[in-house]
Amino acid sequence: MTALDTRAAVTIGDTTGSRRAKRNFDPKKRRSVLLTVLLWLCVLYFVLPLWWLLVSATKDNSGLFSTFGLWFGGGFSFFENLQTLFTVRDGIFARWLVNTLVYSLASAVGATLLATMAGYAFAKYEFPGKKALFSATLGAIMIPLTALALPTYLLFSEAGLTDTPWAVIVPSLVTPFGVYLMRVYAADAVDDSLIEAARVDGAGEFRIFWQVGLRLLGPGLVTVFLFSLVATWNNYFLPLIMLNTSDLYPITVGLAQLQAAASAGGGSQALFSTVITGSFVSILPLIIAFLFLQRYWQSGLSTGSVKG
Amino acid sequence: MSHSPALTVERPSAAPPPMRHGSSTKRKQNIAAYLFVLPFFVVFVAMLVVPLVYSGYLSLFESKLIGGDAFAGLANYVRALQDSAFLASIGRMGLFFVIQVPIMLGLALFLALALDTGRARGSKGVRLLVFMPYAVPAVVATLMWGYLYGPDFGPIAQVARAVGFGTPDFLSPVNILGSMMNIVTWEFVGYNMIIMYAALRSIPGELYEAAEIDGAGQFRIAWSVKIPAIRPAILLTVIFSIIGTFQLFAEPSLLNAIAPDAITNSFTPNYYAYNLAFINQELNYAAAIAFLLGLFIAIVSYIVQLSSQRRERRERSAS
Amino acid sequence: MRNAPRTALSLGAGAVAAALILSGCTPGGGDEGGDNGPITEEQREEALNTPTELTFWTWVPDIENEVALFEEKYPEIDVTVENVGQGLPHYQKLRSAIEAGEGAPDVAQIEYQYIPSFVLSESLLDLTPYGAEDLSGDYVDWAWNQVAPDEAIWAIPQDVGPMGNLYREDILAQAGITEPPATWEEYATAARAVKDATGSYISNLGATQAGQMIGFFWQRGVKPFGYDGEETVSIEVNSDEAKEVATYWTELIQQDLVSTDVDFNDQWYQGLANGKYAGWLTAAWGPVFLQGTAEGTSGLWRAAPLPQWAEGEQVAGNWGGSSDAVLASSENPIAAYELAKFINHDEESAMMLATEQFLYPPQLSVLEDTAFIDQESEFYGGQQVNKLFADISETVDTDFQWLPFMDYVYSTYEETMGTVIADKGDIAAALDEWQDQLVSYAEDQGFTVE
Repeated sequence: MTALDTRAAVTIGDTTGSRRAKRNFDPKKRRSVLLTVLLWLCVLYFVLPLWWLLVSATKDNSGLFSTFGLWFGGGFSFFENLQTLFTVRDGIFARWLVNTLVYSLASAVGATLLATMAGYAFAKYEFPGKKALFSATLGAIMIPLTALALPTYLLFSEAGLTDTPWAVIVPSLVTPFGVYLMRVYAADAVDDSLIEAARVDGAGEFRIFWQVGLRLLGPGLVTVFLFSLVATWNNYFLPLIMLNTSDLYPITVGLAQLQAAASAGGGSQALFSTVITGSFVSILPLIIAFLFLQRYWQSGLSTGSVKG
Repeated sequence: MSHSPALTVERPSAAPPPMRHGSSTKRKQNIAAYLFVLPFFVVFVAMLVVPLVYSGYLSLFESKLIGGDAFAGLANYVRALQDSAFLASIGRMGLFFVIQVPIMLGLALFLALALDTGRARGSKGVRLLVFMPYAVPAVVATLMWGYLYGPDFGPIAQVARAVGFGTPDFLSPVNILGSMMNIVTWEFVGYNMIIMYAALRSIPGELYEAAEIDGAGQFRIAWSVKIPAIRPAILLTVIFSIIGTFQLFAEPSLLNAIAPDAITNSFTPNYYAYNLAFINQELNYAAAIAFLLGLFIAIVSYIVQLSSQRRERRERSAS
Repeated sequence: MRNAPRTALSLGAGAVAAALILSGCTPGGGDEGGDNGPITEEQREEALNTPTELTFWTWVPDIENEVALFEEKYPEIDVTVENVGQGLPHYQKLRSAIEAGEGAPDVAQIEYQYIPSFVLSESLLDLTPYGAEDLSGDYVDWAWNQVAPDEAIWAIPQDVGPMGNLYREDILAQAGITEPPATWEEYATAARAVKDATGSYISNLGATQAGQMIGFFWQRGVKPFGYDGEETVSIEVNSDEAKEVATYWTELIQQDLVSTDVDFNDQWYQGLANGKYAGWLTAAWGPVFLQGTAEGTSGLWRAAPLPQWAEGEQVAGNWGGSSDAVLASSENPIAAYELAKFINHDEESAMMLATEQFLYPPQLSVLEDTAFIDQESEFYGGQQVNKLFADISETVDTDFQWLPFMDYVYSTYEETMGTVIADKGDIAAALDEWQDQLVSYAEDQGFTVE
């Protein structure tokens, strides 16, 4: 693993620094029609399922099963679906959305902070046990997390923390991969001479981290934040095990439960179109956040390349 | 493991600052470093190490619905190594790995290289759209593909019928593995592409400036300059894919809802461990299976790294 | 409530029953009342007039309405209704909470076949001291036997699923069949006629639907399972009678007269709605369920008893149904018992369950109420479907039993039987495989297998 980290570190770490060189090198490009067509054909593969989701969210149950899947038809029921979605079981869907948002943001902020501090230390300090600690971190990436779910659940219940938001947030704070990424970024983005200079000025290590390090780690922060956000947002297994109160569910567990109710009938609840609309609504915030963060990430990259 | 030559490729910037201060400064820095890593490792120990150890402890026992628990030593491990369902699930994932991972990473590499040339229109859009599935929860992705695969109302079947291909049965026991490969590919090409793309962007322009001036074609440059240059990043995606493949859980467990006849309880090792714990109520045996699985993943990852290093060394000495 | 299809979507949840055994501790007591004799009227009054909070885990939609009636009657008691999942995830969560020693509800919905597994882990409260004995005459016999298989009473019956035959009168008529098939032999002949004349399958046998197959066994008089409440089980899923049932279906399937689609998914729903299946052999909860699923075919459906193995007989099986049990760990067992009882015994509440949630009632009071049984259903061409199933309900065999590990039984059914049915293979042979796996699991788990 040690070999892997250093070497991969080199490649990813460089992202910040060397775009400039490249951009200067290639001011004008010949456009290739063939390549463009090929690429956009690939894009079709990735987008069509999402297109299907969008289209299906506008159909009612019968339209769902009587019209061509990839085009609108059978009436436009998007707003009715939305209404059902947000009123079913006293509007619990909105609650799930909020829960997901809270869990994801809390986990992502916490995980990013922990990973940044650790990654920064791994990159910028030599200390006894560093190699062992870092290897342990990387090794942890290989642990099948579902295998830990059960013991984690037992431990949480010992502590009386099951069925609380903590049960979802705290385990999500550990991102070995985030530490790894931050080490990579910090190694490159934070110049040692800056740290040295700050030390000469008499700044403490923590002030250096907050005032010098963090500012330069912007792009890395956003990346780790993005990955942790996605990980928690998409997590199904952990909250499913930990939570018993439907008011605490995140959207993934809620949707799966709605889907189960749909396929089991639940008296007269044929909720297929509601579940599909719910799926559609549930991925919107993430895609929007992602677009937003992507832009930030890009600008972060170029800022990084101006540094010096 | 730590004595590989690659270790020496440490970036200069990542090296420790030259020691000009006294040992008290050094100690202060050590303390600071420990304080920096402390919060992470507190959670790390509590959320990973402790459950892991606990799980290892559990795997040494045997529990029965009647008669309670007893210390069993390594009996669960012996049983696992003779368990045809477990071995078959490993084999199935081996097949998955051999087929799906090259396709997924090949596609990701192609996209990353194509985007890197900057010769296609709307590159930024392409990058974003290809990455988008990564933001879709596995729950939603599997639900969606479940509908798309549907033999009666799925659009794929509708199109296939319209052009006279008959109705493809994506959810039959024979085809389900392929269908799952497709879902995983759809979910993760973008993610791998971004890793490779980031690596490509970081290749210093000078490296292939010369080649381009020499009139080398894009394919040549890609093959002999770019791909070797991002080999560590590719290796990283391979390792992640190994881990991801052998840990597949959400997809089989969600597909089981629509194709219970095709997805057996031991379809993937991780899903098997889960079912052992929750359906068969054999928690201890499940813990042993999970342990073996982790060990297996570690070994395969290590072998892949090792062979990659050996190849690199060979190539280096050949040139 | 019907036996929920075992969806993996719902497969999550943290059952820790194995850990429960591992740690060697069993939660609660289950004998709080047993040692102290019956609960007196004073104790009951006191409990019901003390401010109390109860938690009730159930997946019955809108059961809050029935609970509201209870709270109205006993204003001191505050009930929180929680839906933690349907079927399997519900039980897994229940086991986890029991094991964790906290967070378990006071009252929980439990399908009949899962009662023994909670009896085994001593998680349920024996309701005898609380006066449940008095209720025994108020439910159909066989349903009461399900909750009170031996000395103890473990739950109050909520709903049942005696099986019948729902069929499309118009499609059968096209094939020249004007009367519902009375015997299985006639059913097979009709299946051929329907397929030839219309292309429809006479019905669908859900490949992985253990509940339906076990219902057929139940009708045939097969006793595949037995459990003495202690450590002895009996398993015989491959008896001659069971094989007779299996062979019957194998033949229909291999002649392509019956489809084997996985049920309760959208494909299957559509099959019911668009005439792919001309019928559905289902339980008493089926009629209303179908009504919500195949609205477009209103008026075309009819209901009839299951075809019989011997002419002139009237025997039915059961598929699904739930009870409400009080957990041994409940701190307010008296109030909890009263809640379980009220929901399923109070006349107004029981009637609401039958007419608003459309759960098929085991309560004699409802089954004899003309407001319920004389209801004419437009979807079934004005037929009195409730009446029909009330009659069927009287023909269900009374001493069918379950194993204390039905999760495993159903899961192996999918593995052994499900794959064979989907492949149109020999179902009777698969029964042997299923039998072997069940016996070996039971022995591994320390049971004495008879």
